[in-house]
Amino acid sequence: MSGRVLRWLAVGILLFLVAVPLYWIVVTSLKTGRQILMSQAIYIAKPFTLENYTYLFEETRFVLWLRNSAVTAVASTMLSLAIGAAGAYALTRLRFAGRRAFGALVLITYLVPPGLMFIPLYRTLIQIGYTNSLGTLIVTYPTFLVPFVTWLLMGFFRSIPRELEEAALVDGATRLQTLWRIVLPLAAPGLLAAGLFCFTLSWNEFLYALIFIADDGLRTLPVGLSEFVVSDFAFWGQLMAAAALASLPVVLVYIYLHKYMVGGLTAGAVKG
Amino acid sequence: MALGRWGGPGEERRSLPPGTKLILTRPAATVPRAAGPAWFRINRVQERVLGYALITPVALLIVALIAYPFLNAIWLSLTEKMVGYPAHFVGLKNYAALYESPRFRIVAWNSVVYTVGSICTKLVIGMVMAVALQKAVRGNQLLRGFLLLPWVIPTVVIALTWRWLLDLYRGLFNVGLHDLGIIGAGIHWLGNPDLAMLSVIMANVWRGFPFFGVSFLAAMQTVPQDLYDAASVDGASAWQQFWRVSLPSIKGVVAIVTLLSTIWTLNDFNIVYIMTRGGPGAATHIFATYSYELGIQSQRWGMAMAASMYSLPVIALLIVFVVRYLHREEPAS
Repeated sequence: MSGRVLRWLAVGILLFLVAVPLYWIVVTSLKTGRQILMSQAIYIAKPFTLENYTYLFEETRFVLWLRNSAVTAVASTMLSLAIGAAGAYALTRLRFAGRRAFGALVLITYLVPPGLMFIPLYRTLIQIGYTNSLGTLIVTYPTFLVPFVTWLLMGFFRSIPRELEEAALVDGATRLQTLWRIVLPLAAPGLLAAGLFCFTLSWNEFLYALIFIADDGLRTLPVGLSEFVVSDFAFWGQLMAAAALASLPVVLVYIYLHKYMVGGLTAGAVKG
Repeated sequence: MALGRWGGPGEERRSLPPGTKLILTRPAATVPRAAGPAWFRINRVQERVLGYALITPVALLIVALIAYPFLNAIWLSLTEKMVGYPAHFVGLKNYAALYESPRFRIVAWNSVVYTVGSICTKLVIGMVMAVALQKAVRGNQLLRGFLLLPWVIPTVVIALTWRWLLDLYRGLFNVGLHDLGIIGAGIHWLGNPDLAMLSVIMANVWRGFPFFGVSFLAAMQTVPQDLYDAASVDGASAWQQFWRVSLPSIKGVVAIVTLLSTIWTLNDFNIVYIMTRGGPGAATHIFATYSYELGIQSQRWGMAMAASMYSLPVIALLIVFVVRYLHREEPAS
């Protein structure tokens, strides 16, 4: 019996820990500048206002950042899915020398932390003269997305019975046809999950976008948000409104994807 | 064995269900293997060509945007560049200068504290979360979904929110603790060197523990109920069941999650950059934020890369562990 109480106590504490910062984002975003500055209405926004949200759309470049983030995330996701699906098919279904070693190489690149890669990558981009454009992000994000997609889809492709493909091959289909007509349609849930993961990772990416982009009009949402804080001062009301809106798309994706998440995590990151 | 295009000599283990085999025997019967399966060999070649063609984009990406930049950066760490002069080779001078630098020693130590502190806390909280959610209860899915939210929302949002939570005058922490009568004056969370480190660790733990918890939980739920039943028949307490049944069954997942998280935390950037910029002083500077300061802000690229490289031996070792572990699990088809 005490085990039950203890368990619910633990759950309660964890819920509280997670809820407090989330609540703080929402409640701050609904306060007036005066309420925040004078520390009035700390725990609840009373009376509440939507002026922070309207301010974002009318007075800041929020919409532009939103657009930049969306373009970058969608384009880099598409690119990564195409490259990753081709690679995963080759690595699971086709026999060629060096296949296993290449699989290990993909895994290694998946693990290299961006915190170690940002200067090397930036130097290379400078060498080839391709910085400060959304295209820069669209081609560099696949460095962490493609290994992830490849690894995730390898698991999905393995679960598709070979016999289906063999039957088609015997009936005279080519390899590319079996990939296109049989494997990819059957792996559609996997492609969707991988795509949504990629979208989330791109949407949340900060370090590369901070460094590779200098032009104010090309900033993505996370970088735009970080620029809200000027020295030690920030307009916390507007900032938290922006934070809430920036989180919304990935939270929606996640609510839809929830089932796949855990499976995807274990398939992609843990199980291989 | 007539497995058509799939089965070469010595590949019999990839046999098919009997029904399928019946269909597959026909083409093979028309082209007996002994008579020289010309089409068969062609298809093996085609398979190889297609294989290389399909991995070419991945390979190009890895070579052009990971391997080349990385090797180039290692070279860079061995050079020095003064404004107006071309870079020249200086050997290990940058590494030696960093080794002697008190500031860099602080950075290296901070990185260790940040990583070990975050990961140990995440392990404990993650384990508590997994055990607490292990027994199926109503609303469990919903609970789990909610608890995973910190892992989903952008890290920048998390870091900014924590900065605001810990604000000296108007942050929820100080106001709340004050209203509860626990503290008198506000605590300077991000201004005091020790508390600043604690603060960035708290934010990191908040972001990361759900991933630990959900991974452990997923692993625990694959443990057969029989094991627990047998243990409780033998009179094992809940604690003993956790220690003797759950933990040994999930130790692989615990190891992998810990290794992955260590690799990424040791070179974390976002949380520290946004919450403290490495300050106060160098109290929360870690490898990546310090490299940023040296490279991006001061244009001392050689030095910046050398600073990053100091974490490489550890990272490389951990990556080898992970790859060996995961690659072993993969069927060697």
